[in-house]
Amino acid sequence: MAGVTTQHEASGIPKGSAGKVTFWFGCNMLRHAELIRLSMLLLEKAGYDVEAAGGPGYCCGTAHDHQPKAASTMSARTVDRFNERAQSEGRGTVVTWCPSCHMHMHDIMAPGNPVQFDVAHVTEMLADAGPSLARLFTTPVPRRVMLHRHHGFNSHVAVNDKVRSLIERIPGIEVVDGPAEAGHMCSSLAAVPGALEPAARRLWTEAVAQRCDTVATIFHSCHRELAGLDNRDGIRVRNWVHLLAEAMGLPAADAYRDWKAGGAPDIAAIERVGEAHFEKLIVPELRKPAVLR
Amino acid sequence: MTRPPPAQATSTEAYLRDAGPRLADLCTACGACFVACPMVDVIGLRGADASAASAGLRLLARGEAGPDETVKWAGACAKSGLCIAACPEREAGLDAMLLVRIARQRAINDTRQLGAKGDPLAFPRVKTFARLQLTDEEQKRWLE
Repeated sequence: MAGVTTQHEASGIPKGSAGKVTFWFGCNMLRHAELIRLSMLLLEKAGYDVEAAGGPGYCCGTAHDHQPKAASTMSARTVDRFNERAQSEGRGTVVTWCPSCHMHMHDIMAPGNPVQFDVAHVTEMLADAGPSLARLFTTPVPRRVMLHRHHGFNSHVAVNDKVRSLIERIPGIEVVDGPAEAGHMCSSLAAVPGALEPAARRLWTEAVAQRCDTVATIFHSCHRELAGLDNRDGIRVRNWVHLLAEAMGLPAADAYRDWKAGGAPDIAAIERVGEAHFEKLIVPELRKPAVLR
Repeated sequence: MTRPPPAQATSTEAYLRDAGPRLADLCTACGACFVACPMVDVIGLRGADASAASAGLRLLARGEAGPDETVKWAGACAKSGLCIAACPEREAGLDAMLLVRIARQRAINDTRQLGAKGDPLAFPRVKTFARLQLTDEEQKRWLE
């Protein structure tokens, strides 16, 4: 992130002054490396000393209802690792991204394991720092944005309001609330036959009707499902973090969306993971037809 | 920022085993959770008996077989969370979404009325996405 640190003081918050945190980005965010890096950057701008953790080694276990013992072991391991970070590094707050992980921690992991840290969602932390962060939003983003929303997770964190409050601080932007859909993110609808397509169609129809030029996703799984619609009807798909990065004049690349549109990782990256792995694990997902035909 | 609730059991498995019957005891099968659930429309159960469907949650949460409507409903839970606020026993300690979650788990693992939906390639896939995009240093520091 060359060129970023020079802007840090502009937020008015001394680096690391807000405390040490662990940014727990979950498993599936690993499809969106830019979102991990930009989220860490935003937390740093808000004054936090940030270390990230995620992937299978920090699995919450929420997707393993069919393996209760394995899920229990995973959740205990993850809590232990965060407890260790709290004790040895003073990282007393775990900042979540994934709503599944956040709810699983609150509802199931903590009641089954002694927890020695606080938990906050990244949108809570950043919204609290909104006035300071807004000083960094120096590049106008002249977009009319429809915010893609779900009902779920708002029982734990008012995420729709938090994201709206953040992106509304961007100069030049107009924000329109999209329909509030069932589920906590699109992956929960994708798991139920016939649930995702009507939700995506309502969103897109409303975005067109409201003359929006951008649909803003909140969560990674929604971004994953909607990325294939980028440029349909002239509407771009961006995550809220991309919009904040644009406002800060930072590169806001979106490799996953570009790959869905027919691009591919560079040859060296494919060779690094192995061409057979790439063909078996990555290509089918990238070439899956878009949710709307 | 919140401090998660204190531990009530020695593992999540033990907690969920104990929480099922406890939540079932709090539930009055009034059907408010079913009425509030937007997935009921998606799976074509809007005309079903809401009280009977929620009574089925109590059965499943205790490890007993539930009616087909309840199994179908619990299997389609997308964590919309609207049932939590709709539940009149919330103040008494009933987390309706957790009750549905436990009912679903029991329908998978105990009564075998639902099939497992695990994806054995899920972790290999995210690891491969990570290796495509993360630097060696990022993988070392973030993934351990």
